[in-house]
Amino acid sequence: MSALLQVRNVTKKYGGLTANNDISFDVAENEILSVIGPNGAGKSTLFKMISSFTPTTSGEILYRGERISNLKPHIVARKGIVRTFQETTIFKSMTVRESVVVAQHLRAKASLAGYFWGSKTAKEDVAAFGRYADELLEFLGMSGISNELASNLPQGNLRALGIAIGLATDPKVLLLDEPFAGMNHDETMRMVDLVRSVRDERGVTVMLVEHDMPAVMNISDRIVVLNFGEKIAQGTPSEIQNNEKVIEAYLGSADDEIGM
Amino acid sequence: MEQILANGVYLGSQYAMIALGLTLIFALMNVLNFAHGQMYVIGGFVTYTFYGQWGVPFVLALVMSCVTLAILGALIEKFLFAPVIKGSAREESTMLLAAGIAFFLDALILLVFGEKQRGVPKIVDGVFNYDFRLIMPYDRILICALAILSIVAFIGLMQYTKTGRALRALAQDRTAAQLMGVNVDRYSMIGFALGAMLAGLVGGLLVTITGVNLGMGGPTSIKAFMMVMIGGAGVISGAIWGGIILGFMEAIGLAVLSQYGDITYLLIFISLMIFLAIRPQGLMGKPWG
Amino acid sequence: MFGFSAKQLIGVAIFLFAIFVGVPLIIGVTGRWDFYFTLTSVALLAIASAGVWLTFYIGRINIGQGAFALIGAYVSAILVVKAGWSFWLSLPAAGVFAALVAVLIGLPILRLRGVYFAMITLVLTQVVTLTALALPITNGAKGISSIPLPSGVSLFGIPLIPDFGAMENTKLAFYYTACILMIVTYAALYRLVNSRLGHLCRSMQQNEELASSIGVNIAHIRIVIFAISSFFGGIGGAMFGSIAQSVYPSSFQVADSVNFMLNCFLGGLGYVFGPMLGTLVLYFGWDLLFELGKYQMLVYSIILIAVIRFLPNGLLSLRFGKGGDK
Repeated sequence: MSALLQVRNVTKKYGGLTANNDISFDVAENEILSVIGPNGAGKSTLFKMISSFTPTTSGEILYRGERISNLKPHIVARKGIVRTFQETTIFKSMTVRESVVVAQHLRAKASLAGYFWGSKTAKEDVAAFGRYADELLEFLGMSGISNELASNLPQGNLRALGIAIGLATDPKVLLLDEPFAGMNHDETMRMVDLVRSVRDERGVTVMLVEHDMPAVMNISDRIVVLNFGEKIAQGTPSEIQNNEKVIEAYLGSADDEIGM
Repeated sequence: MEQILANGVYLGSQYAMIALGLTLIFALMNVLNFAHGQMYVIGGFVTYTFYGQWGVPFVLALVMSCVTLAILGALIEKFLFAPVIKGSAREESTMLLAAGIAFFLDALILLVFGEKQRGVPKIVDGVFNYDFRLIMPYDRILICALAILSIVAFIGLMQYTKTGRALRALAQDRTAAQLMGVNVDRYSMIGFALGAMLAGLVGGLLVTITGVNLGMGGPTSIKAFMMVMIGGAGVISGAIWGGIILGFMEAIGLAVLSQYGDITYLLIFISLMIFLAIRPQGLMGKPWG
Repeated sequence: MFGFSAKQLIGVAIFLFAIFVGVPLIIGVTGRWDFYFTLTSVALLAIASAGVWLTFYIGRINIGQGAFALIGAYVSAILVVKAGWSFWLSLPAAGVFAALVAVLIGLPILRLRGVYFAMITLVLTQVVTLTALALPITNGAKGISSIPLPSGVSLFGIPLIPDFGAMENTKLAFYYTACILMIVTYAALYRLVNSRLGHLCRSMQQNEELASSIGVNIAHIRIVIFAISSFFGGIGGAMFGSIAQSVYPSSFQVADSVNFMLNCFLGGLGYVFGPMLGTLVLYFGWDLLFELGKYQMLVYSIILIAVIRFLPNGLLSLRFGKGGDK
């Protein structure tokens, strides 16, 4: 198992508060790895550090052996590690297709000046972006809504739009932030299939933060469990389900989960 | 040195009051009140009219300034800001509206009070002189004391009364306040009136020292913006700190830099930019974005 | 051509015909020569407003354009009067200088958003006015006056631009110059908005976090856009100074910065040509109300407030309806 992404002794402190303490784990190429844990366990913070939206206090994160922590988000995105957000983070007044087109800008061959003057390469780029957007939306089953304004979409589609925007950048690693939150069983199952096909057909390594236990158990190759900022377990779904510490952590904070 | 300190306290107390009103309106309604300086000027002219023209006792004239501005603020909120906030797709619309109101109040001041510089008779005579190291006219000391008293009263109001609690709840989270049973529309109006009243009160206080004229509105708003940025927008303690800091910077600038021309504000602006680059939310503001 | 549809091309042709042929004809017939000055001012203010509009395109409310217009006016005036430059060289220099100042100031302040950016740019306007009063090179409150009119330019003996000083009627010449500058500005703006940079700006306007997650270097684009925006401000200001043949610290002040912003908002932020329309309506409206004498400001502000109250999405929204774009 070759490690694509390595989290090495990562610690994050906000003032006196420790959000993540000495976390280490690897993500293998082409796997689906979930990070779970009760509320306040530090999952989101960990995600933000991997995508460089926030710096680490100590420790480092490596991608193919190269440090990607404490950079700028757009640089990490350009290396192929792209995160998605929860549903409110979208381009509100763009259509689905426009969002997916703009997300492809990293692949532009023409320069900004070329676009300004309308060079031949720029025109080819624009055509290619459009074709790829259509293809991607079809792959995600979103062709029917490609001309809808993002702000008019229902919740479930917004999540898919987020994934479409992330995929349009042609990532190597996709970080999904609670892709199943607020979905009913059928929607969740469809999303599980979608995420799996992203990995299987597009060769994208997927890492996700999630609360929905059945979905996580269904989709993940491996799971990392955080509690109070510490990593308490890692392993396959069946190993995690039988782990004493994990059961204790979840029982101990059952009240928190109701709030979700 | 003592002189600079005293000037700083004096300026800072006035400035803090101006910033308090601005920040209160901002916290409650997310409105940047461009017309704040004009409200200050109107407050000055009302006190000038009652005290300077008609010989009404100063304290009564001050009360009239407060009442006038409170009514004006309430009307502006009810008939302009509230409907625009409800009807507009963009929150920036309120900024335009505030700019329009600033123009309108300027025009109103010009028509009603004219464009001349107006002053009033001194409220108390005499100068406090400590060994020529600290010289301060008594009226300035009195005005400064009144300003500090008003700030304390305002904080008391916000902290210990039902209205204050409702306003604070509203400032923190509009939706939550509504759920808790706060009458959002009513308290928005009260808050706006209160903010405008503070501007009017400072105007009334300062007319006894600097006088008042039409052109003071814009620059006063600008100073208020700077204070709010220094302290952090929408935070009461931030407005007070912002006022004190700007007051001191100005006092020091005028004392130290006067021979280099009027570059105090250039230097203050550069420091403000550097400060905001490090701490965009200001001293007391909560981090955002 | 340039991605215009036939309908758009006809529209552009009518517009060009109107301003280059129609307006001079009407003015010639009616004898209202003062309209040249009004329309020239509109064109120049529309250039500066275009900059403000562009800053809004990355989600920043810019109330500092007066500062850059003033900087541009002073740079051009100083270069022409003190260094003996040709005005036509000082014009781009003024734009570039304003852009450089924008880069320096933008590095710290472009991190601010919303109301905070609006406030600090407004403060900037006041500070630049105060600085112009204080510095020796700007000549304090006296300003720089009797700036010579633009000289002629010729290349290899072929006259490209005639000498304005030798003309009988500079009004028409300034009108044409201002219109050409305005058209170039808006053509550039239109191309920019509809090119990749424009799309990236739009993504930033709508969500900076998401934009950076797809690899957009938001800090870089913010600076570039703010520099272009201030370049427009500098050009507009410099041209204004040349027409007035004088620059004072009060040539552009806080009220002007606010007006530039109002031009954009009232024209409609969703439309490239919005600021042009906004400038025309606001400036002409102000001019028409001149008859009212001391009530001019009062009526103007009441109309302004009424428009904001009842048409919160701008004048062009009347035609295109809510939610329209471009």
